[in-house]
Amino acid sequence: MIAASLLKISIQALWANKLRTGLTLLGVIIGVTSVMTIISALEGMMGAVESQLDRLGPSTFIATTIGGVATSEEQWHEMLKRKPIDIDYADDILEGCELCEKVCPRTFNSANIKYRGERLRDVFVMGSTYNLIDVVDFEVDQGHFHSREDDIYRREVVFIGETVREALFSGVDAIGKSIRLDGKKYTVVGVAKKMGSMFGQDRDKFVVIPLDVSIKQFGKPRRNSNFVIKARSVDDLDEAMDEARIVLRSLRHVPYDKPDDFILLTADAILDQLNSVTRIFRMGLVGISSISLVVGGIVVMNIMMVSVSERTREIGIRKSVGARQNHILLQFLFEALLTTLTGGLIGIVLGYIAAASLVQMIDMQISPSVFGMVAGLSISTGIGVIFGIYPAMKAARLDPIKALSYE
Amino acid sequence: MTLIETKNLWKTYTMGTEKVHALSGVTLQIQKGEYVAIMGPSGSGKSTLMNLIGCLDTPTQGDYILNGKAVNKMNDDELANIRNREIGFVFQTFNLLARATALHNVELPLIYNGSGSLDRVEKAELALKRVELTDRMLHKPSELSGGQRQRVAVARALVNDPSLILADEPTGNLDSKTSVEIMKLFDEIHRQGNTIIVVTHERDIANHAHRVISILDGKIATDEIVTEDQRRKAQ
Repeated sequence: MIAASLLKISIQALWANKLRTGLTLLGVIIGVTSVMTIISALEGMMGAVESQLDRLGPSTFIATTIGGVATSEEQWHEMLKRKPIDIDYADDILEGCELCEKVCPRTFNSANIKYRGERLRDVFVMGSTYNLIDVVDFEVDQGHFHSREDDIYRREVVFIGETVREALFSGVDAIGKSIRLDGKKYTVVGVAKKMGSMFGQDRDKFVVIPLDVSIKQFGKPRRNSNFVIKARSVDDLDEAMDEARIVLRSLRHVPYDKPDDFILLTADAILDQLNSVTRIFRMGLVGISSISLVVGGIVVMNIMMVSVSERTREIGIRKSVGARQNHILLQFLFEALLTTLTGGLIGIVLGYIAAASLVQMIDMQISPSVFGMVAGLSISTGIGVIFGIYPAMKAARLDPIKALSYE
Repeated sequence: MTLIETKNLWKTYTMGTEKVHALSGVTLQIQKGEYVAIMGPSGSGKSTLMNLIGCLDTPTQGDYILNGKAVNKMNDDELANIRNREIGFVFQTFNLLARATALHNVELPLIYNGSGSLDRVEKAELALKRVELTDRMLHKPSELSGGQRQRVAVARALVNDPSLILADEPTGNLDSKTSVEIMKLFDEIHRQGNTIIVVTHERDIANHAHRVISILDGKIATDEIVTEDQRRKAQ
């Protein structure tokens, strides 16, 4: 009951000092907005990376020689010196690793593509066996992915990304048409569903051709290859990776006392590494933007101090008619909290808008995050309490006699 | 029945290395329903005595029993409760909240004892009626004359039905005509059965009371009954 009345008194006091309240709000809004922008944008980016990695699936991993994060220059040089992974190992891995369900070797090249008069430069060309579609989460929009027979008979067929389709076949059905990859003729058998771009990179500017066809055209791959391996189930993933490691060590003749000269990467491991590499960067950004939050807090405290000394007499009057210390404390704390919470709410909305337009520049989207909102609200409440409590306590402890005679 | 009983009250301030005794052993009793004036020149200690009686301050030494409660041993919050329930202040400078209406100013003591808002408004309206300001309830202090402001303060002092009305130089900021009006109001409130203590340095004002206690150098100098004759003259 008393708290409700005190809250009303606080609202009236804030309303009566619109300019002062507005300036305090501005301080809080700037602080919360900048922090929320950073948090939302970072969270959005990490979320996008995560959803991208999810295409790998929770039971798949990649075997490669260069990858992950090199923590020193020596390690990087060591990685570069490793002999490339041999894509002929696919059958050996499948045989030696009982828990591996599918093994899919891949090569990576690039080519210029032509269809009639249309031309598209530097398209990412992946060579893979027919089972890539079961291992990596491409979605087929039209036609189909190349088949086992296409692999066996080394047919010159191609599965194209949306960007390629758009550039070469706008308004025309692409299936069955012949295109040229660096001059060599391929027949389009399927089109992938659009994936959109990320970090400004177009993820639909690719084609996939049968593995042996790609070797025939581009030569045997060196470092531009890896394996995607799918375990029988998510639960088998760890054991499958162990088995695959043993097979690869023996195939690559790694002495028992030497570390692996290859890497097995899961989506989780990639995400972890990404997280750990970007952690300092992210903390730094949040830290820098927090400075404006502290400044906002100091604005609140400063204005509260002015408000308390300006209203010394009012405090004296309230105390003389029986207000206890806590009543005065609450009245002023409510003022601080109302200001910071309102500022916080506005800041969350503005921060979200700013973050959304920021990440849009790198072709991504964010959705409002519960974490962000909870963080924003607790941050602004925290500022209200931390920076409001001292002036409020100062008010609460005023001596009523001195306060009443204050001019 | 005894409302106020002080035994050997001392109030000592330390100024630098020197000790100043604002009150040096004040012992007095005031009965319920009395109308008492405390007189004395400035620096005599009468304000200090008023602060102690009003529970705005605690004595350095000595006992103070208000309405059966030992006040001198209370902490800040307990004193606030006593001020809220037992005492109604009227100050020389009115001490009204400038931004609040007369009604809200009168409501103020009721906020701090947790009364509901309907109850508060009802009681505040009643108190304003007693000081004949029903038509000025929604005016702010700046829209009221000095006499009206002081009547709002009197209504605020009355609203909680306290056992003691404590007025500190209530006419100090008023012209003589308005002063008379306010003192008449106090006479009326006293007739209704309230206990009143008025602190003043003016004999005319003091003579409205039924008993005058003079303070000098922190001690009670005289404690006299005001005769009917003196009172009639003052009125």
